[in-house]
Amino acid sequence: MDFTWSDQQKELLDAVGRFASQQLNYNMIENDRDGVFNHDAWKKCGAFGIQGLLVPAEYGGLGMDPLTTVAALERLGYACKDNGLIFSINAHMWTAITPLVYSGSEAQKKKYLPGLCDGTLIGGNAMSEPNSGSDAFSLSTTAVKKDSKYILNGSKIFITNGPVADVLVVFATLDKARGPNGISAFLVDKDSPGMDVARKLEKMGLRTSPMAEVFFENCEVPEENLLGKEGSGPSQFTWAMTWERGCILASAVGSMQRLLERCVRYAKERKQFGQPIAKFQLVASKIVDMKLRVESARHMLYHCAWLRGQGKSAYLEAAMTKLHISDCWIKCCEDAIQIHGGYGYMTEYELERELRDAIGSKLYSGTSEMQRNIIGSLLL
Amino acid sequence: MKILVSFKSVADPNEATLAGAAASAAKSVINPFDEIAIEEALQIRERGDAVEIVAVTIGAPAVEEQVRAALAMGVDRAIRIDDSRALDPYAVARILRAVVEKEVPQVVIMGKQAVDDDSNQVGQMLAGLLGWPQATFVSKVEFLDNKTRARCTRETDAGLEVVAIDLPAVITTDLRLNQPRYVSLPGLIKARRRPIETLTCNELRVEVRPLTTVLSIANPPKRAAGTRVDSVEELIAKLRQEAKVL
Amino acid sequence: MVETLVLIEHDRECVKRQSLHAITLARQLSGKYALLLLGQGLGEIAASLASYGASAVIAADDPALAEPLADRYATVIAEAVRKYDSKILLGTSSTFSKDILPRTAALLDMPMLTDVLAVEENDGSISYRRPVNAGSMLATIKLETDRCVLTARATAFDAPAADAVACPIERFEFDVALLPNRMEFISREQRTSDRPDLTEAAVVVCGGRPLKDKETFERLVGGLADALGGAVGATRAAVDGGMAPNDYQVGQTGKVIAPQLYIGVGISGAIQHLAGIKDSRVIVAINKDPDAPIFQVAAYGLVGDLHQMVPQLIAALSKGEESA
Repeated sequence: MDFTWSDQQKELLDAVGRFASQQLNYNMIENDRDGVFNHDAWKKCGAFGIQGLLVPAEYGGLGMDPLTTVAALERLGYACKDNGLIFSINAHMWTAITPLVYSGSEAQKKKYLPGLCDGTLIGGNAMSEPNSGSDAFSLSTTAVKKDSKYILNGSKIFITNGPVADVLVVFATLDKARGPNGISAFLVDKDSPGMDVARKLEKMGLRTSPMAEVFFENCEVPEENLLGKEGSGPSQFTWAMTWERGCILASAVGSMQRLLERCVRYAKERKQFGQPIAKFQLVASKIVDMKLRVESARHMLYHCAWLRGQGKSAYLEAAMTKLHISDCWIKCCEDAIQIHGGYGYMTEYELERELRDAIGSKLYSGTSEMQRNIIGSLLL
Repeated sequence: MKILVSFKSVADPNEATLAGAAASAAKSVINPFDEIAIEEALQIRERGDAVEIVAVTIGAPAVEEQVRAALAMGVDRAIRIDDSRALDPYAVARILRAVVEKEVPQVVIMGKQAVDDDSNQVGQMLAGLLGWPQATFVSKVEFLDNKTRARCTRETDAGLEVVAIDLPAVITTDLRLNQPRYVSLPGLIKARRRPIETLTCNELRVEVRPLTTVLSIANPPKRAAGTRVDSVEELIAKLRQEAKVL
Repeated sequence: MVETLVLIEHDRECVKRQSLHAITLARQLSGKYALLLLGQGLGEIAASLASYGASAVIAADDPALAEPLADRYATVIAEAVRKYDSKILLGTSSTFSKDILPRTAALLDMPMLTDVLAVEENDGSISYRRPVNAGSMLATIKLETDRCVLTARATAFDAPAADAVACPIERFEFDVALLPNRMEFISREQRTSDRPDLTEAAVVVCGGRPLKDKETFERLVGGLADALGGAVGATRAAVDGGMAPNDYQVGQTGKVIAPQLYIGVGISGAIQHLAGIKDSRVIVAINKDPDAPIFQVAAYGLVGDLHQMVPQLIAALSKGEESA
């Protein structure tokens, strides 16, 4: 088992790190406080090549393999402190781009993928509803075929990128009686008649990633915007969700590495009782725990991505990866605050924001409880 | 117009801290001032004043990573002069003169100094060897008179100064000339397929021997850290009574 | 024959005092040294240099040299070196000498060392010490030839005493018609200031990016400098941000200073800035980040918000003056 990166991979990862640290880290405290989405940074990431990492080159992407992709996202998370921006990019990659690549027609791919790759278009999906979160397939938004259009009715909540998206992959049912088999996916362009992107939702963390409720009232969607076949909603969703679970916390591994390095530096420089706090076992022990979490998280991330690159479904591994990394990330953030003492609690030090950003990771892409259910059902 | 941009591969100054072994393990990047030079050449081409940009560097095969970065930024051709020796600025200038005689550019642009050596000599020496006009520490470049002259704003100790120089000429860049574009991943991947021309000093028919030798490199004596003061009053008191500078 | 020629810099009115420090280096080397001046109407300036113990003050005085165009100046200086058969050409590091002396070195087929801090002799062989990597390291260098161009870092050498018997002032003749003519001087900024020169002031107050804008920078950094009778400097970030003009920049690629008292306001202490202030006698830092690197080199560190600390400091200093 060869754990080394090739020279080409190293060059690529270094370019990601340099780009991110030089171009994406500004106005963090203000943007987090005011919930500002950094359009400029989004476009730069697109021009740089982040959004299109996995997309085949013929549609404007880089056609990278999954392992190099997650390594690039990890490096992005290491070098870029804007967890919200990265979360928006991930939502865009896994919930909009992935379904298009998987089920899109040639025409749909050519229409949307280039812009979704180069930063000119922002995508997202609309699955969750006020009454269906973990129980996703019990959704109530309806779609009715009428002439050459589908008419959508319903409301969606927790739509990441909602306020800024150019296109959303909306899941709606054509026949509630058929249960999950009635669910289809639709590409809904912004400003579609009958589509109302409502109030922006204020969050605890990832505040630079915009989120909204979206209402569909007789929203008209042209029939060529049906994504995949009628009734294929759940399989598309599951496919995309497997990718999402395996990859969405790649950047968290990078963030944890950054926190670890920060804590090591601080522990060596900060003196109390006449010596660096690194000499106190209770501090050192926390840093050891952080290191163990970073390493184990990284290994699971890479292994899961490697399996995907081998063509394996990695359904179990993806759930385990997501569950484990989210736990690790939150604990690392807590430890980082604790190690920094009072300073860790101060907004200026940008540590409390990391924890607020990390807490969401046990909720999105399937709650930790759902991941446990999945893993349990596969083992037992 | 053909522009020749000369650049140096240096240890990443953003990671630079200590001397010796640590420095050799550091990542290499294009010297920041030379990056500005490459960017300026690209902008000149983008506004239609130049048609070809050739980038050149001198170094061992390892610097090809920086050559690819220059290609990824968008230069048309890239040349590596294969020479692993520690070269002083005068040796570099003499090698570059041979490259200029081969490529015949109208403008040579390079950073004003390399951030590892901090000599700030190569551009001026090259201009002297070629007998060309020079504009150093430039913060703005415009071409005049049907691109036969360049009007350059220079950053000097007394402030900004403007000169007009006939072409062909050598220009060295200062910090505020532009903001270099970052290398994009698509650019990096395309650059991998572009050839890097390799030349030796022999092939250039130039033979140089460095006239300086570095005997040793050491850390400077460390300044002792002082004390913290808690108030403006305490600071003034200490400056008056202890340090006696007020 | 004069072994060493020292290029002295002036601003058309008087000598730039920093450039005189190269004379101290000249005195450390063996052999005679002469002072070289280029320009127009140099009578008084040349006369002011007569007591620095040189064998002569050599003045190349001609309207063609009214402005320091590198191609003309390098040509004339090279001719002077040849005429006097000098082995060493010296100057003090400045944008003037950095622009002109490397070109001159190439014309003379000589290597050049910039920012020499010291010269050492061991068993008859001479080595030079200069800073590299933004001054984070010192290199000791040997030359393979005894003919070279050197610029001295002014802050590393004392100002020379001017108590020698007056030396002759010689006019350097050269053929103006043979001077290159492909560079034209257009204009330079004219900014006057009541404050002392940044490189010569005993007190310097520098400001960084946290000063946010030009007005705040001038009010706080300028105000503090004025309260202390000092000069104003800036970090690269502050100049990039438009808070201060380029000639205020202090650091690796700006000016190098060594005042008696340096106060850094809102400056974190990046290596590139420290490169320009390390030899200051007393360093004071005012910064709200207790972990800022500048506190590692500051004699006195005040952790606090500069927007409160600096006005307090200005008020306390002004009050002190009133009661004194």
